[in-house]
Amino acid sequence: MWEIIKKEWLLLFRSNLFLGVSLGFILILILSVYLGSYENQRKKASYENAKNEMRSQWENLKDMNPHGAAHFGTYVFKPSNSLSGLDEGVGAITGNVLRLEGHVQNEILYSEASQMQSVSRFGKLKSSLLLQYLLPILLVFLAFGSINSEKQSGRLKLLIMQGAGTTKLVLAKTLSIWLYGLGLLVLVVLTHSLLNIQDFNADVFVRTSLFLLVYALYYFIITGLTIFFSTQTHNATIALTFMLGLWILWTIFLPNIFISSVEKWHMLPSRNEMKTAMKEDRSKGIDGHNPSDDREDEFKKSILKKYNVDSLSQLPVNFDGLVMQADEEYGNKVWDKHFGNLRETLALQKQTLQYGGIINPFISLQNTSKGFMASDNLHHQAYLMQAENYRRVFIKTLNDKHAFGGSKTGDWDWKPSNDFFKSVPDFDYKPTSVWSIFSSYLLDLFFLGFWAFAVSACLIFRTKQIEIL
Amino acid sequence: MRSIDLFFYEWKHFSRSPFKIVALLLFTLAGIYGLNSGSKLYENQKSEITSINLKVSEKQEETISYYTKGEKGPKDRSWVDLTTPFWATWYVPTYKFKTPSPLIVYGIGQAEQYGFYKQITIWSSPSDSDMVEEIANPERLQIGTLDFSFVIIFLLPLLLLILLHNLKSAETEQGYLMLINVQARNITSWLFIRTIFYVLLISIVCLLLMIYGASLTNILGKHTDGFFQLYSILLLYLLLWTIIYFIVINKGKTSAENTLKMIGIWLVLAFVIPGTIHLWVSIKSPTNLMLDLIDAQRDEFDKISLQPDSVIDRQLYILFPEIELSETANDSLKKANSKMQSGSALANELIKKTIHSIELENQQKNDLIRNTYWLNPIAFFQNKFNSISETSYQDYHQYRQEIQQSIDRRIKIMVVDIWKDVKVDKKQYLEYSKTLNSQ
Repeated sequence: MWEIIKKEWLLLFRSNLFLGVSLGFILILILSVYLGSYENQRKKASYENAKNEMRSQWENLKDMNPHGAAHFGTYVFKPSNSLSGLDEGVGAITGNVLRLEGHVQNEILYSEASQMQSVSRFGKLKSSLLLQYLLPILLVFLAFGSINSEKQSGRLKLLIMQGAGTTKLVLAKTLSIWLYGLGLLVLVVLTHSLLNIQDFNADVFVRTSLFLLVYALYYFIITGLTIFFSTQTHNATIALTFMLGLWILWTIFLPNIFISSVEKWHMLPSRNEMKTAMKEDRSKGIDGHNPSDDREDEFKKSILKKYNVDSLSQLPVNFDGLVMQADEEYGNKVWDKHFGNLRETLALQKQTLQYGGIINPFISLQNTSKGFMASDNLHHQAYLMQAENYRRVFIKTLNDKHAFGGSKTGDWDWKPSNDFFKSVPDFDYKPTSVWSIFSSYLLDLFFLGFWAFAVSACLIFRTKQIEIL
Repeated sequence: MRSIDLFFYEWKHFSRSPFKIVALLLFTLAGIYGLNSGSKLYENQKSEITSINLKVSEKQEETISYYTKGEKGPKDRSWVDLTTPFWATWYVPTYKFKTPSPLIVYGIGQAEQYGFYKQITIWSSPSDSDMVEEIANPERLQIGTLDFSFVIIFLLPLLLLILLHNLKSAETEQGYLMLINVQARNITSWLFIRTIFYVLLISIVCLLLMIYGASLTNILGKHTDGFFQLYSILLLYLLLWTIIYFIVINKGKTSAENTLKMIGIWLVLAFVIPGTIHLWVSIKSPTNLMLDLIDAQRDEFDKISLQPDSVIDRQLYILFPEIELSETANDSLKKANSKMQSGSALANELIKKTIHSIELENQQKNDLIRNTYWLNPIAFFQNKFNSISETSYQDYHQYRQEIQQSIDRRIKIMVVDIWKDVKVDKKQYLEYSKTLNSQ
């Protein structure tokens, strides 16, 4: 088989057209990796600058009551990871700036897409754009005539007479073109790894390997199917037309239809509905800024009882801080309930979309590509959760200082020293480990594996009796 | 051979080609699906606006009831005094809407990247967090909705490719071309007429689809101009692809070669060029993390409030010359309170300046994109579609400007009436409601 593969490669490399296209493709792939990494580095620098500026503003807080500081809040910025140089995923769509403050959980704002007019429907020229849309087409073009050209030139008969079985021949042809695709893929991954060597670690290695695996499987499916149709038709053009039709259906048509339909099947609430429901739930809790609130009165009684005193002025702690924290904790419960439901619906949408992989492996490829490159919605949600968890710690630290820092109830002029603000830890985003989310992509991996297996089975069992003339 | 005969022959060719028929059917189905997606978004936005307006009316009724009962405000908010302009305007619920155009059925454009309603208060700004887009799956936004503009911009060239790819080349491969040359005399005109058949076929299908879309949101009548503008753009776009493909099939020898060239051109125009320009713009002008706005909202505003009284007075008098001679301006006790309640006016001016520079930066980015239209025709046509269906960046920029005007109007009415020491009754409250809610 290796001999046939070598011969195929030799034939390919004798073609000036193939060499020209390959060279052009290699150049554009390397350019996309380089520019993707460069853009990423610029984003990182801009992120670091913004992060440092916000921290410096926080550390320089003076003369501020802890609750005033909770309202002043801070901002966190969504960091860019080096892997998004390969697949940006939802990065350009989701916001980048999140305000963290007391009483309220804000939404992440200022996406790249909202800052300019429409320029490219399929995103930037990142490697994923070329690897998902263009390279498969190239493989189809290389594969569609490979069996038919052998038939038409009479070489197929000759090869079989020389002892090469049809199955072996078909597999060798598939592998030779697949290896070409794999070569380009490896080139992309290696170039990207070299350009981002400073960020390379075990997690990045696993993610990159999985990225390589899913694309390798998809290329095998595309190459194998094209070769298979090439064996089943008398005319190479029919195989080409069929594969192009399939490519259009899989790549352009179905992903759009599927994801739009999934959102209709599992409806998300409108912002207005959700806000109204949250406001309603929130109104059932303590309002830290409304002293005439009945629930605050009950809370007050419980605190007085706990400290065994008759009035707020006798409390050894500042009641205002306690009530603000109680308000916060109730608000957190409301947020957990509503955003929990939202995340569940999003997860359900994702899972339903994943089942699309049964008839369209491209959907599985897209899911895993952005998933393993840490740029899908799952990773975005994980970031938002970390930010929210930080917000809770951040606000609790301020409320605790307000309550237990030495001030008395009603003393809104009390201010802790600047050292206290400096001691509040900064938001330290921990990138999501690939293993913690790996199970979310098992379905996609299964479908890609299933398709690769089915294509292999077709190549092995359905090409034994192909017409050799 | 007469042209009309060629048309009929081509119809026979087409009707005997299941692949082409399936492609046309899929295109039509995608078109219907896309139009329905647009119509659904239109209905959703309209119903959301109705529901918000209903809430606004309920809130207004509640406030009016305080005036009727002679109460100063809600019982659990003792600090509220609805007889003062500050609280009376505070209790006028106001929303600014980006009312969807019925033409949205033809292109969702950037509508899902922005909010379409905004509550206006004296502390609002067009960059507030409630300007965020409607809740949606980010992965769906990234892949994009299959709307009618997607069908036209991306699927139409593919349909044309499928319909045209084997014209002439099939005859060449089967050895009939010389025979046709004898009959038709001029192969180029023979090919041209055959091509025109498919162009007409697509034009008619698109027109029927657009009429179907028009029936979904009642476009014909009030928006007939938009309808014809869109159809003209569509025809222009079809013409562009027809010219490109015609050159390919006229020069090409085999169907496979034609297909390779046609899909290659489509890939370059739909993916490579827009993707490269997108990346270039992104590198040249990275995403704004809004540090200037954050600074303006926090530090700069603190600096304003720490200014000496005389400076604040002067700033307020420049903004609202009519308050300088008011009674309040000469009453130190009243003046202090009025000045405190007018703080939002100075903050608004500060935020406006910052937002203006951010919008300028965005406009520069858009200029960069516009300057590449000659190289990136797909983006040109996409943005034309968005512009006619009122879902382009510019439409939302205009919406943000209207929001700013609404904020300015609110602040002006409030500040002037505070300084004039106006006593607000039910009639005055209703007047505020009317003025502040006029779109």
